[in-house]
Parts: sequence; structure tokens; C-alpha cells
Amino acid sequence: MKKTTVLQVCVAFVLCSLQAVIASAVDCPDQETGGTSCTISLEKLLERAAQHAELIYRVSEESKLLFEEMLVSFGGVNLYVPSGTMCAPKTVSMSKSEIQQISDKWILHSVLILIQFWTNPLADLQASLENYENVSSALLNRSKWMSSKLTSLEQGVVVLIRQILGDGGLLLEVPEETSDHAVSSDMLETVRRDYSVLYCFRKDAHKIETFLKLLKCRQIDKENCSFF
Amino acid sequence: MAYSLSLSLLCLGLLCGNGLVSARGSKLFTADPSRGPHFTGCRSREQETFRCWWSAGTFQNLTEPGALRVFYQTKNALSSEWKECPDYTHTVENECYFNKTFTHIWTSYCIQLRSVPQNITYDEACFTVENIVHPDPPIGLNWTLLNVSLSGLHFDILVRWAPPPSADVQTGWMSLVYQVQYRVRNNSQWEMLDLESGTQQSIYGLHTDKEYEVRVRCKMSAFDNFGEFSDSIIVHVAQIASKESTFLTTLVLIFGVIGVVILLILLIFSQQQRLMVIFLPPIPAPKIKGIDPELLKNGKLDQLNSLLSSQDMYKPDFYHEDPWVEFIQLDLDDPAEKNSGSDTQHLLGLSHSDSSRVLNFKSDDDSGRASCYDPETPDPEDLASLLPGHSGRGEQHPLVSRSSSSIPDLGVQQTSEVVETPIQTQPAVPSWVNMDFYAQVSDFTPAGGVVLSPGQLNNSPEKKKEEENEKKKIQLQLLSDGAYTSENMARQLSSDVPPSPSPEQGYQSLPTQAVEGNLWNGEYLVSASDSQTPYLLPEAPPVPILPPVSDYTVVQEVDAQHSLLLNPPSSQPTVCSHSPNKHLPALPTMPMGYLTPDLLGNLTP
Repeated sequence: MKKTTVLQVCVAFVLCSLQAVIASAVDCPDQETGGTSCTISLEKLLERAAQHAELIYRVSEESKLLFEEMLVSFGGVNLYVPSGTMCAPKTVSMSKSEIQQISDKWILHSVLILIQFWTNPLADLQASLENYENVSSALLNRSKWMSSKLTSLEQGVVVLIRQILGDGGLLLEVPEETSDHAVSSDMLETVRRDYSVLYCFRKDAHKIETFLKLLKCRQIDKENCSFF
Repeated sequence: MAYSLSLSLLCLGLLCGNGLVSARGSKLFTADPSRGPHFTGCRSREQETFRCWWSAGTFQNLTEPGALRVFYQTKNALSSEWKECPDYTHTVENECYFNKTFTHIWTSYCIQLRSVPQNITYDEACFTVENIVHPDPPIGLNWTLLNVSLSGLHFDILVRWAPPPSADVQTGWMSLVYQVQYRVRNNSQWEMLDLESGTQQSIYGLHTDKEYEVRVRCKMSAFDNFGEFSDSIIVHVAQIASKESTFLTTLVLIFGVIGVVILLILLIFSQQQRLMVIFLPPIPAPKIKGIDPELLKNGKLDQLNSLLSSQDMYKPDFYHEDPWVEFIQLDLDDPAEKNSGSDTQHLLGLSHSDSSRVLNFKSDDDSGRASCYDPETPDPEDLASLLPGHSGRGEQHPLVSRSSSSIPDLGVQQTSEVVETPIQTQPAVPSWVNMDFYAQVSDFTPAGGVVLSPGQLNNSPEKKKEEENEKKKIQLQLLSDGAYTSENMARQLSSDVPPSPSPEQGYQSLPTQAVEGNLWNGEYLVSASDSQTPYLLPEAPPVPILPPVSDYTVVQEVDAQHSLLLNPPSSQPTVCSHSPNKHLPALPTMPMGYLTPDLLGNLTP
């Protein structure tokens, strides 16, 4: 499909161009020297985090499309959004106005929670995708890439929290793992589960991207980005 | 196989069971009249609010407002109750508007179209807000001319626009990407450019004199839903005629030049050889007439020598350059001319005819071996020819010392038979076959013969008698090499002082009566003794018989006057024993032969 090809090319290019940028986003998560050891400016950190999130989102969108294409070759499956726990909102849903009113602390915490939630399901997804017969290498690469970059983003967000909120701003609560770990022998269930992971992750990736962009706007340009 | 089967079953189940909207797209406004009441679409413009529309469909009795109601549910973990549409738009029919408060991003919504009185749910749809976002079209579309091509036929423009005001791009709420489209006016096909995340894009390769339409639309990045197109703008650039002609002229010139260059190159390549000869003529190799240059290169010396000698390089003039010959020529010419009827000539028995005798020295045939011994040419002949004919002769054999015992014989014979055949003398000289190359001339016979040293007795006692009778000294300028001529010698030559034995000088005194004396001592060059007797003396005082001396004498030392002090043989110790001159250090054994200049250098005090 033309769109997917365009998206693939775009993502590949963006991956290459942002690789160095993203890799350096975790250059100063040095906890030993304290919060003042970071030499990267806040603007750059936020910029990198936002770009990182945007790229993750694009790749997730691409992965979802690839997965759907793969299912199409099986006979035109039209999957509905499963009602599992994957797409359950991890945070309180709110409108834009509400979101704009929330504090930086809340944003950062939400982002962190989301990232931490999706770390394991993505790893499971990657393992599960390898069992498919006609899985494309592009999809496998993307899932691997997403897992790795999500970990990097997590480290970056931790650094941001430390910088913006100070050392005491980090909550160490780990949300409970409610994902379906049971590996069902039923292929259908596996397919559904994998699709739900991709679908829901895409949604949350967009959320992370939006949050980080909001935060970046607030931190850098406080006049225009404050409450409308 | 089973896998695919199960998937297809799932597909059927889903389609039949739910008939739900796929999460990807949103339904549009097109109402399906064949169906019952259904949703025609939900849209959000800025990801902050959204609207939903429905249609009554075939159920015309439900077209009244309020007959159909919309209920929605947000799929939150918190609440799952159905709420009614917060705002039914009054101005627009069958529209439900969700304002900012009710719009939750990243939240799944499910809406239902119900008929409350009958409690029938006609339609249901689930979605998330960001998936139904269709951004507003960009605003402020304008264009600027970038450049016009040289030909004036094409031009490039830069198109700019602004994001839709409703989209909150500044805060990062929405990330938009744009797509520009253009076409020739009234054409049906639109040209689509790549997605642009910025707010400007350049269009290349537009034709002048054509009107173009340009429009732009946008969508959320990584989403699929494009918004509406902006209003089209018209782009038109008038064609400039003057530039075209200039362009054509320059084009013609350039192609002409290129053609000429190509022709030149072809010409050069085709006539390469001739051009090379013209511009880079071959360097002539060294050439000697008659000699092959290859021979020179190979370097075979024997052949080379033979070849070179065969050339006309060794002309008789060469002998003119030879100092030996020169000397001989010098000395004998003057007296010969002065005293044409002098005693010398008389004694020698010269005749004018003899003067005309040409010395056949076969110089031309000598092959360059001027100093070599020619076995064909008999030595006595050379010497004999020297004797009568050396006066006034320029060309004489330098090696006058060649002699044999029978030379006087030959000399006698030759005086009679001088002109004719030199070869005839050859059979008459078998006696000296066993002789050495060199022999010392001890005396001269009156007839002109040469008496050799006593070591080699001559076979003609007659000659001896004649020798005794005639005392003549024929001066043979045995000064073969002018280089060895000393001042003393020269003085003696010029002066007419009769020689007197001067043992002080260290010379072997020449007996005025040439009986058995050394005519010359030592090497060729010495001949100083000879110089002491330049002229024939008509009267020869009795000369004491000197003891026999050896043929050669070693030069012992050189005195202050550059005279060579000879080393006499042991039998004659008295001759050179006292030398008042300073004693030079003992000389090294000299080679019996020539005194080379460097050795001479050793002798100089």
C-alpha cells in the first residue's frame, strides 16, 4: 500500500536521523553526582524527549498498519478493539482544557507511568511476533526498536523529573501488572492480544507525545503555552 | 492452515455480530437511504471538540427532532453508564456536539442511536477522538517567484501558508503535516507533492504562459485523516521573449564550439602519425659515413677499429702531425738544399734521381699502425731509403732504429737499384730473420750503409772495409720524439761545434770515426750522442776503439741541465762513473724501452 510505503520510508529516514539525537538523550542520568551534574540544558532535554515520543508514536502507527496488512493476507480480518486491559486508561481521562490546567508534575508522572506500563507488553509482543509464519522483518524490527526506545525515553523522563521537580519528585510506585500474561494456545486469542497491544500502545504513544510537547512548550515558552 | 481458518471464522463472527466501525476511519456524512437510522459520521476539527451526525434513513417517521437520541459512553474503568448527547445543535439537523468539556482525548467513545420510546438501538459506533480529527484547511496561501530559467520557459515558485487557526499547533497539541497540490488550470489531474511538516514549499518546473492552481491541505502527523483543501490560488508568469532569443543564440554558439572541438579531436586522432612527424621530428642519429650506427651501439671494438682505420682518416697528413717525422724533415731539409752538391750528398752517392725517389712507406696501407712493424716492408729498405733519400723527404719512417746486419748490404744494393723494386731486396736479407726487432746502429758505411752494433755481426766484411775507409757520419735524427729533446741537444744541433767526447756530461761519446761506437745510447730519445755529430766529417780523427757497448743503456740520472746521465754497463765503468753533478737517488729499474713522461718527472731534480 502506498501510504504504508510512504510511512515506512519516512520512519526509516526519521529513525536514522534521530538515532544520534535520541541516544544522547540519556547522556546525563547520572544519579551519583546528583541532579546538578547534568550538563544538557532543559530545553534540549525536553526537545529530545518530545522528538523521541513523536518517533515512537510514528513507529507504533507503522507497526499497527503492518500488522493489519499481515492479517489481511490471512483473509481480510477486521479486528475490533479488544476490550482487554490494554486499552484501559492508565490515567484519568480529561479534556484538553483539563490537561492544560494540570501541572508539570502531573504530566511527568503520567508519562512515566505510561512508559512503565508498556515496557513489558511490548517485550511480550516482540516474542509473540516471532512465532508468526509470515511476519515481515519490518514489523519485527519496529517492535524491537520500540522496546529499546521506550526504555531510553523512560530514562530521559526520569532525568526530566529530577531536573524539573527536583530529587524528591520521583514516585517509585510501580503500577500493577494487569496484562494478560497467560499464553493461550489459541492462535486467535494470540492474534487478538497482539493486535490490542499494538493498537493501544499507539494510542498511549500519542498521549505521551502530546504530554511531552505540552511540557516542552510550557517550560520553554511560558507565555504562549500557558492556559488559554 | 488451521490458523487461517480460525481467522476467517473470527472475521465472519465479527462482521455478523457487531457490524462495528473499524477503529481506523470514521464514517462520513453520506447517508445510506436503504438503511434505517444510522450515524453518518463523527468529526473533530481540532482535537478538542467533536460532532456526530446521524440520519433517519428509511424511517421517515423518525425524522422529527427528538425522535432519535444519541447516547454515548466513555470506556473508562470508572463509569460505564450511558449519557445523552450533551448538546443537540439547533442550527444543524441531526447533529450532536461535544464541547471541550466532554471531549476526552485518548478515550474510547461509544455512541448509540436510540429511539427512546421504542427503546430500540438502531446504530452504535466506537472511536477515539484523535482518530476522527480532520483538521481545518490552512490559511494564508500565497506564492513568490523564485527564479526563471535561462530560456524563459520555466520558473520556480515558493508557496507559503499558515496553519489553521483552530489547530493548536503552538503548544504542541497537534502536529500537522501539509500536502500541496497543483495543476494547470482547468485540468483535471492534480499534481501531489510530498508531505511537508513546515509551512512552505517550493514548486519547480512550472511553465511560463500557463496558469496554475495551487491548494494545500493538512492532517495530523501519523494519522490518516486529511482535512479540507484550502482555497486555490492562481499562479501565472508571463513569458519573456527577449531572453529566449539570447538563450537560443548562446546555445547555438556553444554547440558550434563543441562540434568544432570534436572535429579537431577527430582530426588529430586520424592524422596522429603525420602530426607527430611534423611537430616532433625525429632526432637524427649520429652517422659516420660508411659505418653502421648499430655497430657503434654494439661496441665491438675489433670491427670498429678495422672499420675506422679503413676510413680516410689516416691520411698521409697524419704523418705530418707526427713529431717524429717532423723532426726528421726539419733537420735534413736545410743542408740538403743548401749544399746540393755538398760532400754529404757526394759521399752518400746521391743522385737527383734519388731525390725523386719516393719513399714508399705504404702509409696508406698501413692500417693506422704507424709504429707497427710491417713484415712485408723490409726494414733495410726503410733505412736504406732513408739514407739516400731522407734529404728533402718529409715522409720517413720514424723508427729509424730498425736495422739489421745486412742493412748495409741492402743499402749498397739499393743505391744501385733504388727506384725499382724494394721487394727485390727481400730475398737478399735472409740473414736477419733471426734478428731482433731492434738493433743498434753503430756506424755508417761510406756507401751509405748502416753498420749495426758489434753484437750482431754483419755478413759483409766488405762493408767493414768501406766503413773504415769512409768516415762519414750521417746524422740520423734519431730524435724520435721532440719531447725528449733537451736544450742541450738543441744547442748542439744548431751549432756546428764538432762533438767532443765529454764524459762529464755523461754521454757516450761518439767516435768521429764510426767504427764500433755506439751511435746512440740508451733509448731512442737519447740520441744526444747523435746530436753531437750532426754532420759528416770528412776527416775522421783516429778514434780509440771503444769497447763494445750494449745496445741499450739505462738512464741513471738527470743533471741540472736536464741532460740524461746514462748508466753504463759494467764493462765500462769509466765512462759515466764520475759525475760531478749531484747525485740523485737511485732510480728504480727502468724498463728497457721507453721513458714515459711520468717517469721523467721522477728524474727531474
